[in-house]
Amino acid sequence: MGGSTDIQLIVDGKRVDGRAPDEMRNVRIEAGIIPEADGSAFVEWGGNKILCGVYGPRECIPRHGANPYRATIKCRYMMSPFSSKEEHGRSGPSRRSTELSKVIREVFENLVVAERFPNTQIDVYIDVLQAEGGTRTASVTAAAVALVNAGIPMKDMVSAIALGKAADVLLVDLGKTEDNFGQSDVPLAMSHKDKKLHLIQMDGLLTKDEIADMIDMAEKATEQIHEKQVDALKRFYENGGNENFKW
Amino acid sequence: MDKKIVMPGEKIADSRIRAPNTFYEGEATFATVIGTLDETGRYIPLENPYKPQVGDLVVGMVVDVRHAGYEVDLNLPKGGFIPSRDIRVALQLGDYVICKIKLVSEVGDVDLGEVKRLPMGKIVRFPPAKVPRLIGRKSSMVALLKENAGGDIMVGNNGYVWISEKNNMPLLLKAIEMIDVKAHTSGLTDEMAKFLKSSR
Repeated sequence: MGGSTDIQLIVDGKRVDGRAPDEMRNVRIEAGIIPEADGSAFVEWGGNKILCGVYGPRECIPRHGANPYRATIKCRYMMSPFSSKEEHGRSGPSRRSTELSKVIREVFENLVVAERFPNTQIDVYIDVLQAEGGTRTASVTAAAVALVNAGIPMKDMVSAIALGKAADVLLVDLGKTEDNFGQSDVPLAMSHKDKKLHLIQMDGLLTKDEIADMIDMAEKATEQIHEKQVDALKRFYENGGNENFKW
Repeated sequence: MDKKIVMPGEKIADSRIRAPNTFYEGEATFATVIGTLDETGRYIPLENPYKPQVGDLVVGMVVDVRHAGYEVDLNLPKGGFIPSRDIRVALQLGDYVICKIKLVSEVGDVDLGEVKRLPMGKIVRFPPAKVPRLIGRKSSMVALLKENAGGDIMVGNNGYVWISEKNNMPLLLKAIEMIDVKAHTSGLTDEMAKFLKSSR
């Protein structure tokens, strides 16, 4: 958002990477790829590669952070220093990664049945190995699969997608160029059963009607992602592991 | 028997049924962890952190020696406690023990009793949700493994499995991994019997 460019974001109804406005990038999800973690997932979403590991419930450290009524969920989102052309991760957490860790944590604070594990913490580590726009939504998608893989009780499954507007057209699943130079960018996370929004942020300007349209589009898109999440988990449990995993 | 894998938030019954790891919404029951649902409507979790219960047999390692007793790692956020006055032998740091859960407090503190020190061996981690498959009906699976691997095996409900050093380790570790991988299939004991026979 905010930058200016000569790139035509939409030409003949097609986007910069040749997709239709409502077309998503290829999404591949694998569950349980870190044997030592309690739960883990890998998501390859277009040019994004995201690795997520879940540990816990375990002893809350520091102790004063423990809540006697529920588990504390801790989330750490980090972009690898080599994940994109811009510099990332050279001196620890940044303003951006702190914000993303917070919004991702809040998605799962609403979904995890944390009352079952008082005085403990559940750690969600998200590493972005390669970034191409839409890493926070891909991270939510990965973390949901990893939490299910860890056996953490949740009230619902969640999937996330970024929508936006460029050249006055509503777009599903923004890529990096559209994210940087489009008119608007709306990442959102929607639960599967209740269709509730657990995360919505907005950059740029949109009308009320456009937001309503976007939420309808998001419902369809998250449905597709949910299918892939379920497929990844089913494959993992039916084959009893992920021996044939390939990067 | 036909089994279906259910996800968190998926409906498992139209009526309110009492089962662990579920919640109600209106009159329907929903799952909270990934599990299998068979034709009779029985919901069994595939993955679940260990929940201590009084009377459970657990395997663990002594991680702290205190003046009043010992702290034991039990695959839980907090260690279990063995009071010194309840046991006759002195334990050492790093000893493997098998004990029974005497008490689980409101905040999750676990008190242990009926302690037995285990001889030289090794502890293997096993998913707690799949422990019933490793034990088998009337401990048929454990008996089968003992018979074929030639040593002693102690399965704790907490997902720690102690195996004696007298065992045929490579064979036993492979067998335990196979049970983990195929935990959701039926006829597992027969399959394991075949596997163990062929690789002996």
